[in-house]
Amino acid sequence: MKKKLTMFLMLTLLIGLLAACGNSNTGSTGNNTSETDAASNQPSAPAEKVTLQFWHSMGGTNGERIDAMIKRFNESHENIEVIGTFQGGYDDTVTKLQQAVASGSAPDVSMLERAYVEMFADSEVLEDMKPYLEQSGISEDEFTEGLMGHSYFNDQLVSLPLNRSTPILHVNKTLLDEMGLTIPKTWEELEQTANALVVKENGEITRYGFSMPYDTWYPIAMISQAEGKFFNEDRTSIGFYDNGVGLKVFSQLKKLQETGALYYPPATDSGNIVNGMFKEGKVAMIYQSTGSIGGLTEAVDFDYATAFLPQDKVYANPTGGANVAMLAASKNKEAAWEFIRWMETDPQGALPFILESGYLPFTKSMVESQEIKDLWAKEPNRKVAYDQLQYAVDTNNDVTWPEVMHEFFSAIEAIMYDSKDIQATLDTFKKEAERILAD
Amino acid sequence: MDKKRLGELFRPYLMIAPAMAGICLFVLYPIIFLGYLSLYDYNLMNKAKSKFIGFENFAEIFSRGDFYKSLSNTVIYTAGVVVLTLLLSLVIAVWLSKKSKFNVFVQAGIFTPHVVSIVSIALVWLWMMEPNLGFLNYVLKALGLPPSQWLQSSESALMSVILVSVWQGIGYYVLIIVAALQSISPSIYEAAALDNASKLKVFWKITLPMISPQLFFILVIMTIGSFKVFDTVKVMTGGGPNNATNTLVYYIFENRTTNIGYASATGVVLMMIIALLTFVYFRLLSRRVHYQ
Repeated sequence: MKKKLTMFLMLTLLIGLLAACGNSNTGSTGNNTSETDAASNQPSAPAEKVTLQFWHSMGGTNGERIDAMIKRFNESHENIEVIGTFQGGYDDTVTKLQQAVASGSAPDVSMLERAYVEMFADSEVLEDMKPYLEQSGISEDEFTEGLMGHSYFNDQLVSLPLNRSTPILHVNKTLLDEMGLTIPKTWEELEQTANALVVKENGEITRYGFSMPYDTWYPIAMISQAEGKFFNEDRTSIGFYDNGVGLKVFSQLKKLQETGALYYPPATDSGNIVNGMFKEGKVAMIYQSTGSIGGLTEAVDFDYATAFLPQDKVYANPTGGANVAMLAASKNKEAAWEFIRWMETDPQGALPFILESGYLPFTKSMVESQEIKDLWAKEPNRKVAYDQLQYAVDTNNDVTWPEVMHEFFSAIEAIMYDSKDIQATLDTFKKEAERILAD
Repeated sequence: MDKKRLGELFRPYLMIAPAMAGICLFVLYPIIFLGYLSLYDYNLMNKAKSKFIGFENFAEIFSRGDFYKSLSNTVIYTAGVVVLTLLLSLVIAVWLSKKSKFNVFVQAGIFTPHVVSIVSIALVWLWMMEPNLGFLNYVLKALGLPPSQWLQSSESALMSVILVSVWQGIGYYVLIIVAALQSISPSIYEAAALDNASKLKVFWKITLPMISPQLFFILVIMTIGSFKVFDTVKVMTGGGPNNATNTLVYYIFENRTTNIGYASATGVVLMMIIALLTFVYFRLLSRRVHYQ
């Protein structure tokens, strides 16, 4: 009898231990948040205070800027406390968000990489923010049009722009001036300029003309510059195959790569590699996100300029970065909306974050604000990025994009790294894309 | 009296209950749920949108080129890692089996990579394998050999990943084999010496059969482990270039956000393959393994 009792005791203990394990997990994430924004953790809150969970993907310096923003919000709102949690990169956040939604522990508000917005919206887990927008008397025209490409789903407003960027041409003007070259505006000019900038020593290339990180962004930009579309109108196939645009884009890239005019970096860590080479003058121009302007301006000692991505038939560029969305399962939607509204429209909201980080201003009042005007007067490079938005076009919006993207990466790798036949690779890609789109 | 009997009857079950609860919760339940997911076009976030599709996921798996690509990559990787590691660690172990200060030092050196996290190792090799500025190509050029593209070309990428895994794993297996070698009774060798047996013969007829249980163990453990390779691929190549290093587990990982039903079905297939492999090994090899 006694033994049995001890057994039961041990069992209860064990189960208790298991439960404690579960608890300690949530406990540790709690600790993480308090570590990341220790400053915003105010001692004992009033009883009726609403607590909001906000997930974001900003680490490093940008993470500190987000934390500072959350702190500003908490200080100006007595009844709402936002707890920001850094959830890793965009993809990590998406994975965690999926699991959190499935287990009913999703945050109230989350940053969401724009390409994934539709996948979430399709599962009906994002709140339609149209009524809230009306209720607060904010017009939808207030937001920069070029950045709203991923905001609507089935006529619902499921996300609003937050930290948005777009690819742009970054130029080492000093190198170009040395050679008496001007900033290229078209593909032909880019080809000539980039080739002229190549330096070879003992048969090895020591300076390349231009470069771009390993990403789908830049080929997609070139596809729309050649007046192709990533997906066709009725979303049954790709829109750059039959019209020969895909062949044209990749032939152009390949031609440039062969002469050293284009340096195509290895897939892993390509953004840092490309930025590093640009800083060291090993490559004269790069296609890169506007989000790099701040870092590059600080790091380089040459005459640094930005320009529109060179055009083929038209100027065109996709957009990137993340939006902010409200989860439909949130229990504090009013408070969640207040946080989103404040970020989007309050001068103390996301504006300081935008000013410091280099992401694009996303509302009309932001663009007209004195702070932005001062910044643009001081750093015209930043204005170029915003001006380019008039040509922003996103043709890859579809629920299946994350899946198609993976196939597109394979195609890019086959062409750029393995020099596989372009037409054959595009044939395969088209077949895979159609299979995914048909599902 | 009756009470005592009852206690006797239930006690063993009670004793293993905590462990069983753990196994059910963390092993059986996930496996069953995996099987369940594999039959659905599953929407993780909105269960109402999930669709039961029977074996369609499996049909899709076996009709897709990229699955076969990652399967063959996994097989090549496993064969490469297992054969190379076994051969190299056997050779090194035979060399190090005599106890001397120098040998202990070398053994510690070989074992060190095993202590370091595989992620750090992968990162360091990633630098060394960088085609333009990396250390490996610098050495190759200094020796007058042609440089390799390493991870950047689909011809050499898988080989590069194998190289890192072998380098990392060898020390551990050397340790096991050395221990096995040292446990062989010296009297057997003495008898062989009296019979004037050649060194090669001693190795084939005595050493190898005597350590065969350990070799068998290593073979099984390593085959299963290599089939599940993930971390080096994730850090070093991300499955690229052009799926040249995409292995089964990484393939599952890639599909997890976009199509969890399909990923689960691939998981089931992977489980089947490993079960089959283990079964075949035990049937074929257990008869040849010498147990004392």
